Amino acid sequence: MPETKLLFEHAHDPQFRTLDGYLAKGGYQGLKKALGMDRQAVIDQVKASGLRGRGGAGFPTWIKWNGIEKEKKNPHYLICNADEGEPGTFKDKQLMEQTPFLLIEGMTIAGYATQADAGYIYIRGEFVDAARSLRQAIDQAYVQGYLGKNILGSGYDLDLYIHMGAGSYECGEESALMSSLMGERGMPRLKFPHAPLPTVAGLWDKPTVINNVETYACAPFILDRGGEWYATLGASTKNSRGTKLFSVSGHVNKPGNYEIEFGTTLVELLDMAGGIKGGKLKACIPGGSSVPIMTAEQVEKAVIGYEELWDDYKTMVGSGGCMFFNEHTCIVSLIWRTAQFYAMESCGKCTPCREGTKWMLQILDRIVRGHGQKGDMDLLLDVTKQIDGRSFCGLGDAAAWPVAGAIRAFPEEFEHFIEHGRSMVQSEEAKAMAPRWAQPAFSH
Amino acid sequence: MSELLQIGAQRPKAPEPDSLELRFSPTAVEELEALKTHYPDLKSCVLPTLWIAQREYGGHLSPEAIAEVAHRLSRSYAEVEGVATFYSMYNTAHKPGRHLIEVCTCLSCHMCGAYRIVDHLEEKLGIKLGETTPDGVFSIHEVECLDACDRAPVLQVGDQYVGPVTPETVDELLERLRSNPDSTVVQLADAVVKVHLRDGKA
Repeated sequence: MPETKLLFEHAHDPQFRTLDGYLAKGGYQGLKKALGMDRQAVIDQVKASGLRGRGGAGFPTWIKWNGIEKEKKNPHYLICNADEGEPGTFKDKQLMEQTPFLLIEGMTIAGYATQADAGYIYIRGEFVDAARSLRQAIDQAYVQGYLGKNILGSGYDLDLYIHMGAGSYECGEESALMSSLMGERGMPRLKFPHAPLPTVAGLWDKPTVINNVETYACAPFILDRGGEWYATLGASTKNSRGTKLFSVSGHVNKPGNYEIEFGTTLVELLDMAGGIKGGKLKACIPGGSSVPIMTAEQVEKAVIGYEELWDDYKTMVGSGGCMFFNEHTCIVSLIWRTAQFYAMESCGKCTPCREGTKWMLQILDRIVRGHGQKGDMDLLLDVTKQIDGRSFCGLGDAAAWPVAGAIRAFPEEFEHFIEHGRSMVQSEEAKAMAPRWAQPAFSH
Repeated sequence: MSELLQIGAQRPKAPEPDSLELRFSPTAVEELEALKTHYPDLKSCVLPTLWIAQREYGGHLSPEAIAEVAHRLSRSYAEVEGVATFYSMYNTAHKPGRHLIEVCTCLSCHMCGAYRIVDHLEEKLGIKLGETTPDGVFSIHEVECLDACDRAPVLQVGDQYVGPVTPETVDELLERLRSNPDSTVVQLADAVVKVHLRDGKA
């Protein structure tokens, strides 16, 4: 299948970033229809669309919207998770920079459906350009009555605020994000079933809907063209509907964001990105650094869908951060760097993650330094098992999966590195990628 | 002494409450007042106010800066310090140079040669990652994924992403920055504060 442009149809048109340009391309039709509907009917459209969360977990969006109390007793809040931090992912950044009104319209629809009083867009501190574009768009929407009091004469009021983060991957986790928004360290909170869902007690303990940027951006299309129409996209897959943005990077000729319909193959995605660069394809991480790595052989047949990737390859769509690597890539070195990421970003709240990520890094570090010991692979796998499912939030799991996945997919590379103290990949290209202290492992 | 104890020993001391000098400019105070209307409580203003403080105090969240934030939001010094030190973009440990160059070495950047960029910067500036040049112009930091993997290897300087970079483009960047007398660290904090506010002003 070729690229299917829905969210990104007008992404490269600078006019689309202005309210007038957005309206000229049919913008705000979805909101107009929604405001003329019963709140429950809006949620039913989202249910019919089969939309699932685009941030990584793939949770059905309508369930979140439907979980908000119908008889309003409290203020209701809306949060947009724009703390895009997953290595390999850069789709939300482009969405906010180039199509800010899709997000604003989507949030207004969600706000109307859940009777929200205010919405907060939590953007990672580094994304200044994205925030500026969104700022401009929000200001224009206020001036022309698309935000604020009595939106389009419907009697519905919504205020949108931008809240900038300050450098923490953990804040992409929804409960940590809420802690951060409330002025605390970005640490996660107890979750259901041990604590109420955010839809019952979220931000400031009030009913809260929290979705990813891309999820909100899908809502205008669902309301404008109907949930059933949206569900025809990706109908060839088991339970993945619509289009998905994939951020393709690594050793490809044309890195960038590509919008595909579910059911597209990974090979087609690689072709869109201009094919592999600097040698043959060796491995692919399809959904951001947290998901298990795939071998070139697996990539050949893989179809993109939430269930398809999980059932057949035990990997995931995740956030859509798809990285392809060529034959000069040392998998051990790649996983060492991944482990460093999680060790740096673990918030320190729970022991399995705080200690486990550091231990994985230490073991991988000694392997890459050429001092790996017999039994290190088992030791690593053992540590991943101590973290997976035992950490307070998903960060621990996300740190364990790539390590366990890589050992499963490329055991011979780990064995070789440990036994010989050198990488199995011996080439000038591999040496050129390595940190200076690790370069001896790549020289003949 | 263990490494952890040493880190504790180096922690900057909180200023005495009596010696607190408020340094927020009238603009900053106006911005803070506007921010307070965004949230139902004062505590939620901590992060944006720390950004204001980082700008007002020249790119560095010194103990005095943290104390001022705590004072203006009626929080304790310990609480605000705890929040500030959690986030990597708040410069709490030491004052960075006029220009802070952040090099991403995460997955895609690693595989696209980010470590050669690190080598080049270290050699060119004569400092290691995490250090500042003696003249106080440049600091270099290694950072985790900046989420611009399509531009790998990528750097962040102030509010700008630069990439993909090569040793040659890094040289050009350094020259351009050297002749820029304004701190890009302060610029970034200012830009972050501005996007919170309607029409970019209080």
